[in-house]
Amino acid sequence: MLSLNQAGTKPVVEDRPPPGGTGVFCRSVSSGYLGSEVLRDISFSIEEPAVYVVLGPNGAGKTTLFRTLAGVLRPYRGEVRIGGIPVDQPASRHHLHYLSHLDGMPEGLTVREALEVYAQVEGANSTDVDRVLGLLEIRELADHFLSQLSAGQRKRASIGRIFLRDREIYLLDEPTANLDPKVAREIRTLILELARDKVILYSSHNLFEAREIGRYVLAIKGGRIEHFGRIEDLRGSRFVVGVRVLAPSEALADWPREGEYYTRELAGPDEVPALLRDLEARGVRIRELREMGNPLEDLFA
Amino acid sequence: MSSLAVPVDTPSLLGVTIRRSTVVGKFFLVYSTVMSGFFGVILAVVSASAFSTSFPVILPIFGVAGSMGALSVFSSDRVKGTLEYFLAYGITARRLFTNVLIAAVVLVSIIVAVAVGVGVGLYVARGHSLSEDLLVRLGLYAIPMTYASASFATIVCMYWTALSSPRTGMNSPIGIAPIIGILPPVGVLVVASVLEATGAVSSFGVDVVAVLAMVGVAVTSLLLLAVSGRLLRSERLLSPA
Repeated sequence: MLSLNQAGTKPVVEDRPPPGGTGVFCRSVSSGYLGSEVLRDISFSIEEPAVYVVLGPNGAGKTTLFRTLAGVLRPYRGEVRIGGIPVDQPASRHHLHYLSHLDGMPEGLTVREALEVYAQVEGANSTDVDRVLGLLEIRELADHFLSQLSAGQRKRASIGRIFLRDREIYLLDEPTANLDPKVAREIRTLILELARDKVILYSSHNLFEAREIGRYVLAIKGGRIEHFGRIEDLRGSRFVVGVRVLAPSEALADWPREGEYYTRELAGPDEVPALLRDLEARGVRIRELREMGNPLEDLFA
Repeated sequence: MSSLAVPVDTPSLLGVTIRRSTVVGKFFLVYSTVMSGFFGVILAVVSASAFSTSFPVILPIFGVAGSMGALSVFSSDRVKGTLEYFLAYGITARRLFTNVLIAAVVLVSIIVAVAVGVGVGLYVARGHSLSEDLLVRLGLYAIPMTYASASFATIVCMYWTALSSPRTGMNSPIGIAPIIGILPPVGVLVVASVLEATGAVSSFGVDVVAVLAMVGVAVTSLLLLAVSGRLLRSERLLSPA
C-alpha cells in the first residue's frame, strides 16, 4: 500500500485503513467498465490535507479512478474508503465533493437555478448560492440560461458547486480544462485556498499546472500507479530550459535546438538566474525563457 | 461556507426535472398542444362521427410527440455528465428514470387537457351529444393510450440511450422515439381495421382489443421502470471517459 509518512516526504507501506478514519483509502482496487479493467490493483492511502495531482496520459485511468473514488463505479475487487466509510455506503458521499471532467450542468435552467439544484442535492441553501455567484464573479451570468454561455463560462459556473458546502475531500477531474489561462489561474488560486485543510485530488495531464498547484503527485500509467510522492521528486529528474532569442547569437551556437528554442539542461530551477545573467553578459537578447523538459515524458515513456 | 453537517436525505429532483422538460422540449410541447387542439376543433366541426372515430387515434400521436422534452433532458444529462453528478451524490438510477417518466406524463397531461378540453368542448357546443361509445373510446382507450404510448417511448428510449454510445440526430434514441411511441396506437388501428373488415369480432370486441393493447403497453412500461435499477448499472449512465 502506497502511503506517505508523517512528514509527507516519501511513500511508506500500509495495509489497513488509517486509524483516524479520514482521507482516501484504496486497497487492491481494480475497476473499469462492463467487465473490462481499466484500473489494476491500485493501492494508496491519503490523509494529509494537500493537493494531490493525479497525472497521467490520456487513457491512463484518471477519470476511472475518480469515478471509483466517488462511488459512481463499483470496483470489481478491492476496498475503497472515503472519510473512513466504505464507498458503497451512502454516508461516504457526504465527505466529498466530486467534479467530473464534464461540466454536468442541467440544461434548461439559468446559472442560478442550476446552482440551486446543486444546493438542493448537497444540502446547501440560497444564501450559499449567492455567495458562490460572488466568489466566482459570475453574478452577471446568474440569470442567463446555460445554453447562452460559452464553454469557459459553463465550466466556471459548474465549478461553483464545490464551494457550496464544506467537505473534507475534493475529487476534481481536470477542473480547468477548456478555461482560458487567466480564469484557470483564478480557479487554481481558489482551489489552493481550499486546500489549506482539505484533501484534494486534482487530475491533469499538464505537469506545469501540477507543479503550480500540487504538493504531491500520483502518476498513473496503464491503470497502475507509476509514482506517488512529493512533486519535487519529479522535478529533480530532469530540468531543461529553452531560450528563444530576438536575434541569432554566436553564444548559443553549440546549444541543441528544439524548434525555435535553444535548450540546455540544468541541475534545477535555482540555476536559472545565473544562466540569465550569463546570457545577458554575452549579449544574448532573450525573447522568452521557458522550461522545456517534461519529466512526464520520462515517467510515461 | 456551510458546515460539514450531513444532508438528511437526497432530494427527489422531480419538480426541477418537470420544469426542465418543459423548457428543453417547449417546441415539441407547443407544437403538439396546438396541433392536437387544432385537429380536435376541425374534427368537431366536420361531424360527430369524424370526431368519434379519428380524435381517439390522433390524440396518442401528438401526446407522444409532445413528451419528447423529458427524454431530451435524460439524454442531455447523460452526455453532459449531469447524471454522473447525481449518481455520485447518491441519487439512484431508478429515481432518475422515474423522474423523467413522470415528467413525460406531466407533458402529456398538458396536451390531453388542452386537446380534449377544446375538442370535446366544441363538440358539445355544436350540439352533439356525448355518446357512450365516444366516452368509452376516450376514457378507456384514447386518453390512457396517450399516457401509455408516451411512457413506453420514454422508458424504452431511456434504456436505449443508456445502452448505446451517445449520438445525435435522427439516428439517436431521441430521433427514433416518436416512431416507437406511435407504434402501439398505429398497431391497434391496423388490427382494429383488419378485425372490423373481416368481421371477426364485433365493434365492442374491437374496443376490448384496443383497451387490452393499451393495458399491455402501460404494464410493459411500468415493468421496465421497476427493473431499471437492476438492469442498468450506474456505469451505463456515464458519459465517455
